[in-house]
Amino acid sequence: MEQSTLESIQFNEEILGIMAPAPETANSFTALLELPPTQVVELLHSSEHTGKLPLHVSNPKPYPLTSVICGGTSNLTFPSNAALVERAARFSVFAGENPPQTEVKDEQQETDSNPSLTQGGGDCVSDPTVENKNSKGAKRKQLEKKVKVSSKKSKSIADENSGNGEELPYVHVRVRRGQATDSHSLAERARREKINARMKLLQELVPGCNKISGTALVLDKIINHVQSLQHEVEILSMKLAAVNPIIDFNLDSILATEGVSLMDSNFPTTVTPVMWPEISHNGNRPQFQQPWQSDGFHQPLWGREENNPNFMTPENSLLSYDSPANSVSLHSNQLKMEL
Amino acid sequence: MRNLSSLKQEFLRKWIKGLRKYNSQKKNMNLLERKKAIKLSADLAMASTRNKATLWRKALVAKTSIDESNKNDISTSSQPKKIRKKLTNSSPLCRKRRRIRTVYKAKERVEASFIAKKMVQKRTRKLKSLLPGGKSMDEACLVDETLDYIESLRAQVEVMRCLVTASELFINPSPP
Repeated sequence: MEQSTLESIQFNEEILGIMAPAPETANSFTALLELPPTQVVELLHSSEHTGKLPLHVSNPKPYPLTSVICGGTSNLTFPSNAALVERAARFSVFAGENPPQTEVKDEQQETDSNPSLTQGGGDCVSDPTVENKNSKGAKRKQLEKKVKVSSKKSKSIADENSGNGEELPYVHVRVRRGQATDSHSLAERARREKINARMKLLQELVPGCNKISGTALVLDKIINHVQSLQHEVEILSMKLAAVNPIIDFNLDSILATEGVSLMDSNFPTTVTPVMWPEISHNGNRPQFQQPWQSDGFHQPLWGREENNPNFMTPENSLLSYDSPANSVSLHSNQLKMEL
Repeated sequence: MRNLSSLKQEFLRKWIKGLRKYNSQKKNMNLLERKKAIKLSADLAMASTRNKATLWRKALVAKTSIDESNKNDISTSSQPKKIRKKLTNSSPLCRKRRRIRTVYKAKERVEASFIAKKMVQKRTRKLKSLLPGGKSMDEACLVDETLDYIESLRAQVEVMRCLVTASELFINPSPP
C-alpha cells in the first residue's frame, strides 16, 4: 500500500495544482459541482479512496457508471497516471454510490452526485482539468481500446476525456471511446462536425431530403434541386422575353417606388402551370400599351378579391376585380399589387 | 417567411432597375437577346441582394459583367474573350496534365467506406461546377454557399414566376 499512498500524495498535489487555475474558467469542474474548491478537493480525496477500489478489484458492483470503469481498468495495475485516477474519482463521484468507507463525505457526495450526474454526463467536455493531460493520450488510448462492452453507454461519460488542447477558448469536441485524441484528428473532427451541421441545415432547406440518410444521396438531391432552379430561371426568362415586347416596363417605375407591400401576401408556390402567351395576339392588341394607365380600362378586367386583405398599395382603389376563378384571381391580385 | 418576402422585394426592385436599362434597346433585340438581357439583370439583382459578400455573388457579378460586355460589344471583342479563356479549364495543356495525373492512381479499393467517399467526392465536384465561383471553394465554404445560393435562387424563381403570370394575364385577360 505504500505505493498507493505515495501515489495518493502525488495525486493530491496534482489536484491542488489543478484546482487553482480551474476556478478561473466558468466551465471548471468545480463550477460543475457548484462547490467551493476545497470541498471538491476533499470530495476527491474521499472518492480517491473509493475510486481506487474499483480499479484494484474487479468488483461486481451493480453501479452502472463505475462498472464501466471497472470493466475497463480492472485488468490493469493502478495507473500512476494522475489524470486517470482523477477521472475515475470523478466517475465515482458522479455515480454517487460509493461504499461507505469515508463517513463524512458520503452525504456530500450523494447530494451532489445526483444533480451532477446529469450535468456531468453532458458537460464533461468542458473540463479544463483533464484538458491539461492531453499529453497522456497515448496511454489513455490503450486503456480505452480494451473496453468493448458498454462502450456506447460510456460515450458521453468519456467525452470529458477529449478536451482540445491547452488553447483558450476551448473548442468543445465530442470524442468517442477508442478514437484518437491528438490535435490533428481533433481539429479534423471539429471541422467535419461543422460541415455535418451545415449539411443538416441544407437537408431541411431542400424538400424531400429529410428522410434520406447518407451524404451522397442528400448531395444528389441538392444538386438536382439547384439544377432545376437554374433551369427554371432560364425558362422563365425566356418566357418573359417572349412577353416583353408588349409590356412596357415603364410601369415598373410605379412598382419600384411603391413596391413595399408587394410580397406581403402569400405567393402561391404551386402556381398553375403557365402557358406560353400567344404571340399572335401581339399584333392584334397593341392598344394594351397605352390604356395601361387609364382607370376605365381596368374596370372590366380585374375583380377585387377579398381574401387577400393585406394589400396596401395605393393603387388598390384604382382597380376592381371581377374574375371568380381562384387561380386567375390570385394572378390578378398579383398584378394589382404590381401596379 | 418574412425573410423570404423581403428578399423578394429587394430582388424585384433591383431587377426592375436593371430591366429598365434595356427598355430603350428593346426594339432592336430579338428573342434570345431579350432573354439574355432579362437573365443578366435578374442575376445581377440576385447577386446584389442582402449585402452578403459570399463567393458565389462575386463570381456571378464577374460573370455577368463579362457577359454583358460581350453582349453590348462595349469593349473590344478581344478583351472578354481573353478573360473567358482564362476562366475555362479545358485547354489542351490542362487536359494533358489531368491525364498524366490519373495514370498514377492508387490501386483500386473496394471497401464500402472508400466507395462512399468516392461518391461524395464526385457529387461535391458536381455541386462545385454548378455553383458560380464554386471551383475555388473548400467543403465547409461550399455548404454555406449552397445554402445561400438556394435561398436566393428560390426567391428569384418565385418573383420571375409571378411576373410572368401577371404579364400573361395582362395580355390574355380572363373572359369576364
